[in-house]
Amino acid sequence: MVVDAGFIAIGAGIAVGLAGIGAGMGEQAIGAAAVGAMAEDEKFFGKGLLMTVIPESIAIFGLVVALILLFVFGAE
Amino acid sequence: MGVSNNIKYAYIVARVRAMKSKLIPREMYPKFMNMDIPEITRYIEESGYKKDVDELGKKYRGTDLIEHALNQNLALTYRKLIEVSQDEANYLITEYLRSWDIWNIKTILRGKFSGASEDEILEDIVSGGQLRYRDISEIVKIGTIEGVIASFAKTPYYKALEGYSGDLARIENALDLLYYSNLINAVTSTGNKLFLKFLKTEIDLKNLKMLFRMKRAGMERDEIIKLLIPGGMELKENDFVRLASLSMSDFVRALEEYSYWNAISDISGELSSLRDIEMRLDKYGLTYASRISYYYPLSILPILDYILSKKIEVDNVRIIVRGKETSLPDDIIKAHLVM
Repeated sequence: MVVDAGFIAIGAGIAVGLAGIGAGMGEQAIGAAAVGAMAEDEKFFGKGLLMTVIPESIAIFGLVVALILLFVFGAE
Repeated sequence: MGVSNNIKYAYIVARVRAMKSKLIPREMYPKFMNMDIPEITRYIEESGYKKDVDELGKKYRGTDLIEHALNQNLALTYRKLIEVSQDEANYLITEYLRSWDIWNIKTILRGKFSGASEDEILEDIVSGGQLRYRDISEIVKIGTIEGVIASFAKTPYYKALEGYSGDLARIENALDLLYYSNLINAVTSTGNKLFLKFLKTEIDLKNLKMLFRMKRAGMERDEIIKLLIPGGMELKENDFVRLASLSMSDFVRALEEYSYWNAISDISGELSSLRDIEMRLDKYGLTYASRISYYYPLSILPILDYILSKKIEVDNVRIIVRGKETSLPDDIIKAHLVM
């Protein structure tokens, strides 16, 4: 039904959106700290980058949930 | 402390931690004992003081070069902390580092009082506070103490300086009291309880050192109370009255009630040198700052810990170099180091 498909799309949007906001909040402090450490010593670039992208996994979880919603439940 | 405050501190704390990792390691100080002054100069040149040593190398030699390089580096490091911090951290660091303004004013006044030359006074200047080196070097050129005091008329320190009548100790005490009361007000206005706790402990340690010195000098109770700084953590004003009226041996025994006793409990009964106690209290302050900075990693405390550690590094190198210059035995130099 069109209404169900609409709800699924909204759900997928919320999953990606909230996960993105969460990841952003996590990365905010880590990114600031990584830039601070890098400003003193360029050798921290690799470690800083790695640490900064760790919260990105939360966004990927959100994306996975959205894809499940769209392609598993949306296809029914 | 809110999430946004944590984020604000993340940048400066990470930066300060990286700066702290570049400080001279503790195990290097005993090795300095076996080096001569040119070797020490070479080592500090390779460990973060390169720019300062190169810059001042044309003007100074030997221990004077090290002394000036250390002072310049300390001032520039503190200024950098003010420049790279923002909001609350910037305000608190600026207020805390005003202690260097107090130091510089005292140095100029003492220099003028004892008739020291301009170069001799400038040797001890560390422009880590709000007074710029250029302005200070202009003030140093003024011949009289009254003239020097008048030149500070537009600064917040003038309140403590006005009414000078030949008693330098009174002015120095008034400067300390003004600094700490302003700092307590500034910290209270931000509501930063961690800084307040750190500051109160620092005041206690300063008061303890003063109590030891004044007791040793045999000063009167009322005189002692007048010179102590109110606002400490454990040593309140009623403690001042009690401790100031005790004899030296009773005073040492009375200190057992305070947590600072652990730092000085191993001193021998006969107090031959106060330096031993002062060194232990300095070490306590350093360890305390380092410990609480790990408890609260995203706060002002790691920055304060760095400020203290950097100061102690500079002091230690200076003690070693000056000690070696005057051929002091190694064990005496070691006894003066805070490690």
